[in-house]
Amino acid sequence: MCAHCTVRTGTLAGVEVLPVDVEIDIGPGLPSFAIVGLPDTAVQEARERVRSAVRAAGYDLPNARIVVNLSPGPLKKHGTGFDLPIAIGLLVATKQIPAHPFEFVTAVGELSLDGRIRPIPGLLAHAMMARKNGCSLLASREADHYVSLNGVAYCGIESLAELRSGLPVAHSRVTTHDRTPKHAVDFSEVVGQDGAVRALVAAAAGAHNVLMIGPPGAGKTMLARRLPTILPPLGEEERLESALIHSVAGLDDTDVLSGARPFRAPHHTASTAGLIGGGSPPRPGEASLAHNGVLFLDEMPEFGPATLQSLRQPIEDRLVTLVRAEGRLSFPASFSLVGAANPCPCGHHGDTGRACRCPASTVERYRSRIGGPLMDRIDMVCEVWRPPPALIVANRHGTTSAKLRDQVSAARERAARRSTTATSKMSGAELISACSMSGSVTSDLEMIANHHHLSGRGVIRLLRVARTLADVDEKDCVRSDDLAEAIGYRCGTVS
Amino acid sequence: MSGATRFEIGLDDPRYPAQLKDTPDPPKRLYGFGQISALRPGLAVIGARKATPYGLSAATMFAGWAAKASYPIVSGGAVGCDQAAHRAALAHEGTTVAVMAGGADIAYPSGAGALLDAVAVNGAVISEQPWGTRPARWMFRRRNRIIAGLSMAVLVVEAGLPSGTFSTADDALAAGRDVLAVPGSILSPESRGSNRLISQGATIITDVTDLRLALAPLLGEPHDEVHIPGTVISESSDSLLTALRANPMRADDAAVALGTDVITITRRFGLLEAQGMLKRYSDGRYGPA
Repeated sequence: MCAHCTVRTGTLAGVEVLPVDVEIDIGPGLPSFAIVGLPDTAVQEARERVRSAVRAAGYDLPNARIVVNLSPGPLKKHGTGFDLPIAIGLLVATKQIPAHPFEFVTAVGELSLDGRIRPIPGLLAHAMMARKNGCSLLASREADHYVSLNGVAYCGIESLAELRSGLPVAHSRVTTHDRTPKHAVDFSEVVGQDGAVRALVAAAAGAHNVLMIGPPGAGKTMLARRLPTILPPLGEEERLESALIHSVAGLDDTDVLSGARPFRAPHHTASTAGLIGGGSPPRPGEASLAHNGVLFLDEMPEFGPATLQSLRQPIEDRLVTLVRAEGRLSFPASFSLVGAANPCPCGHHGDTGRACRCPASTVERYRSRIGGPLMDRIDMVCEVWRPPPALIVANRHGTTSAKLRDQVSAARERAARRSTTATSKMSGAELISACSMSGSVTSDLEMIANHHHLSGRGVIRLLRVARTLADVDEKDCVRSDDLAEAIGYRCGTVS
Repeated sequence: MSGATRFEIGLDDPRYPAQLKDTPDPPKRLYGFGQISALRPGLAVIGARKATPYGLSAATMFAGWAAKASYPIVSGGAVGCDQAAHRAALAHEGTTVAVMAGGADIAYPSGAGALLDAVAVNGAVISEQPWGTRPARWMFRRRNRIIAGLSMAVLVVEAGLPSGTFSTADDALAAGRDVLAVPGSILSPESRGSNRLISQGATIITDVTDLRLALAPLLGEPHDEVHIPGTVISESSDSLLTALRANPMRADDAAVALGTDVITITRRFGLLEAQGMLKRYSDGRYGPA
């Protein structure tokens, strides 16, 4: 007995799936089952799962020499997604199921010992690869909702046994997502934090990185969690990019696909690999999961210094590049950084009615933990103070998220009308002309810059924030008020 | 701490400062470098480490005037008011003495090395601890009696409650020295200590004339008329400025006090600060510059 078969599948590399052909050869010799082509342990273990699943689904396993080759050979293959293509290849080669339905099919899935098919992480990436190559995707039926991508022909099967009668009809999905994502929280729950809310609106409108400083319990985390509710919903492209990263990381991507901006809040014990990505095979980190959304670092000075500094490159390049012995991988990481910090280790420096017990030098050291280069990339620092208890007891409501979201959208539209370049990416000359300041405003700018000894970069950063503030206030020209407010958001960290 | 000549003087040394010898518990031996002649009777200017711009400007103003009047300025070299006093004395080419808690050759706080070197050029850096002694907590209280003993009057520019500055004031009283204090806002926790001293009988110092009247009987009339600008307070019709002059406030508190919104206040703060009218404190409050 001599038989061959080739089945298409793929393996994850970053957020991309590279096509892999599974070649099966069943030939004479001592009965054996070997997988070659740089498989990792998970792929090697496919042998046992395939053996049991094939029998459990009522098929026979040939008593012959089975060789599975994963091609291209030099590419490392990992994951459990090869179970299904290997099983299909075996069954086609032994003529237990017909060959022709699988000609334009990419199969991927993990087998359970009773022959059922389980979903694997990164199905969305597999679906995109299938779409690109004009194939339909054969995978677990459980994962139906994961692969909600327009133009993908998707076959969901529950068990290997279903393949006996050929392939179920692939259906192309045309999904329409709800445009306005639902949020469980709302800005109206925030009381007495007008200054901080204003800063967050500006941060949302101008995609500025912002750091909130304040005593514990003042509402920094509460404010940050509400930031996604005022961001405009994700665009079509952005949804796909963000969902892809979620899918690769094995996380639920339904919220992202419905347009909600990602909000990631890693704990301050996060490792560098956890924050920017890494591991073997390299997985996206929190910075990439926050792509097109918000990366919230609570208790920012408590993060490991090296971990924190590793964010500098992604903030600048808007993507994470991991360089490993096997090669380079890039994960997109265009996020807005929102930090929260206590003013000092005890948390009460400047707090009304609470004495700070920290020596001046400790306060200084605590603040310097974030580090100059990273602070340089944070455009706005706003203070969040404990609101007076009377305001909280009065149970009044603040401005709703819907209203603030309108402000943000209007400001973004105004900025887009003015220039195709985003304010946060403008060069100095472009920015100065975009601000269209009058003579007296320019002299105020000079006065502020002189007083605070601002560097060239400091002036640019000030103007960026001022431009956004004017956009939020629906003004064409930057006024002295905007400059004064913008310098107020430097909070003693002026440089 | 190189360059300057080191000296060691025992209690029976004729160069030992007489006014210090008179105190109840004079140090047995003084280690130091710089000019021994700087250890003549002077004015101690002390205050909190966590000083506000108010305390710093009071220290700068009064120490500057006294240095120009050729009174030696004695202080402890600590961050905040102490260093402001040393700096003001140096700026007016006066004599200033830093009394260290640890060994005189150990720069403490660690960032003060350059300042102490400058102090030793015309003044002195001294300690009762032998060379190379690392400062320990108990030494600071002991050190305070030397600051009080070297000077004829102790001026407290800003002190909260509780405060180490109080122990120097106690030592001053024990040695029979005058205690002078600069009043602050009754609402400011940073001035609570100096206000308490005044209520307990310390001489109130509100301008250089007060200081001159207090010091003349102790240290002699200054050599010539000394004018230090900055003692004249300009009148202001601005309600925000007036409010902040009485009591430095954060933007949110100022908004409540003036019945306006916090964004308006943030803008006013930004412009007034750039105009040099206001200054931001490290804890987020704004006060007069």
